[in-house]
Amino acid sequence: MHADSSAGLTDDLFRRESGRLIASLVAQLGTHRLQLAEDVVQEAMVKALQTWPYRGIPDNPGAWLMQAAKNLALDLLRREQRWNEKETSIAAESERWLAAGDSPMPTDDEIADDTLRMLFVCFHPQLSMEAQTALALRTVCGMSAAEIGSSFLTSEAAISKRLVRARQLIRELALPFTVPGVAELPERLEGVLGAIYLLFNEGYKASGGTALVRHDLCHEAMRLAGLLLAHQATRQPRVFALLALMCLNASRLAARTDSEGRLLRLHEQNRAVWDQRLIHQGLQALANASIGDEVSHYHLEAGIAACHCLSPDEARTDWQRILSLYDQLMLVRPSPITALNRSVAVARLHGPKEGLAEISKITDRSTLEAYHLYHAIRGAFAAELGRAAEALTHFRQAGNLATTPSEKDFIQRRIREVSEPG
Amino acid sequence: MNNQQPIGEHLLFIRGTHWGSSLSPAELQNAMTAFYAWVDGLRGRGLLRGAQPLMEEGKLVTGARGTVVTDGVFAESKEAIAGYFLLSTDSTAEAVRLAQECPVLAYGAQIEVRPVADVCRPMADVKAATAA
Repeated sequence: MHADSSAGLTDDLFRRESGRLIASLVAQLGTHRLQLAEDVVQEAMVKALQTWPYRGIPDNPGAWLMQAAKNLALDLLRREQRWNEKETSIAAESERWLAAGDSPMPTDDEIADDTLRMLFVCFHPQLSMEAQTALALRTVCGMSAAEIGSSFLTSEAAISKRLVRARQLIRELALPFTVPGVAELPERLEGVLGAIYLLFNEGYKASGGTALVRHDLCHEAMRLAGLLLAHQATRQPRVFALLALMCLNASRLAARTDSEGRLLRLHEQNRAVWDQRLIHQGLQALANASIGDEVSHYHLEAGIAACHCLSPDEARTDWQRILSLYDQLMLVRPSPITALNRSVAVARLHGPKEGLAEISKITDRSTLEAYHLYHAIRGAFAAELGRAAEALTHFRQAGNLATTPSEKDFIQRRIREVSEPG
Repeated sequence: MNNQQPIGEHLLFIRGTHWGSSLSPAELQNAMTAFYAWVDGLRGRGLLRGAQPLMEEGKLVTGARGTVVTDGVFAESKEAIAGYFLLSTDSTAEAVRLAQECPVLAYGAQIEVRPVADVCRPMADVKAATAA
């Protein structure tokens, strides 16, 4: 025991350990026991809170928590076994684990393996996207239903319900606790990366007073990518590329709003506030992503983000390079939104008229009608061309479609600029 | 009149064994950090003589000859003693103040503050009677 102080307590010890312990217990008990694993881990941490401060932190807090959680799980299973004596299947199952109850502590490598398996359970394609992210945040990231609820601007009850259903589905489908085999892995990994990026963007959309909470989602998404990279099977260039993309975008989080929480455009942002540590981390990840010949859409998007991060100001942005990255992106993964973003690069290089022309060339343009930035970008191009009335129409449409208060406020400011020039 | 004499020590009993159970891992971490800071503060000021947590399990011995031994209801009780801190201070007011600073109160725990006596009450009464 440490004699006196909380020096052994790293900042996120409980959150980190929560994920590791749950994964390790599920590995031993099976995915159908997820709820039990979550419960005993929670109880073990409460026990730690109620005993450690009297005498100091144990030398190995993780092992202490693991032992406590295991003992609690054993108690519960024994009680259940007595209860269900006649139901031989349940009895036999707990019997097996009870007999193996004094097995040695899992090593860090084993826990990393289990965490990866847990991730593949959470992000199983048979669970809904909402269930996947809620489950990963709860079990791997150690967030409570209340914390997840406030991050997603929904209630604790809604998240709890989502979690209950997800655990139920895991039981019913008897999802295996494994990393997918070689044949299946690329597709499954793509799904996991997509969900992690979605999670990141949910946080990135952050608005107003809840911004800080939602930035948490960005950091958890980056942590999840880090967990994938900690494992040989999933330490792949595209995972590095996704991490790079998230780091580079996250580096601008603090600069995206002013002191009153209003969204700022790129050229309005104070670049001195951009997080250099994250930019560095992102560039390093991008370098790691470039080993091999794989070029995923994450590579290209990270490349675009890197161009912005490396530019000393908006005027000196390498739009030529950004445009060529968008061109490649349109080949690898064409989408109306990518084409729309590409039009901004075209406008920066060749003027707003060309930008508008690019937009009119987008096939499936109708799918963009409901996207507020589609109208906002067209409004901005029209405004640059001095076509105020046209700009106003577009901005008003954008204003009707914007969902968050900061987006609405952003559009209102554009409208004022156009209607009161100078 | 109580003939017991204080000996310059106070015991703080932390009561309640299930406080904090609804906290998230991040909140548990905050509570833990605050709890440690409180303990470190006592130690830094040289006030901490000892501290122990107690197991939730225990026995209750009753009956004139101690023949009734039960499991007690320690774990479930809001009043159950979860641990103690022994402080070297002769002022109950100060001990109370120190208890008031303890962050576990915010999470639903209770703290009982008791001066430590030189001898037990009957012994003190006997001593007082023989001295008189």
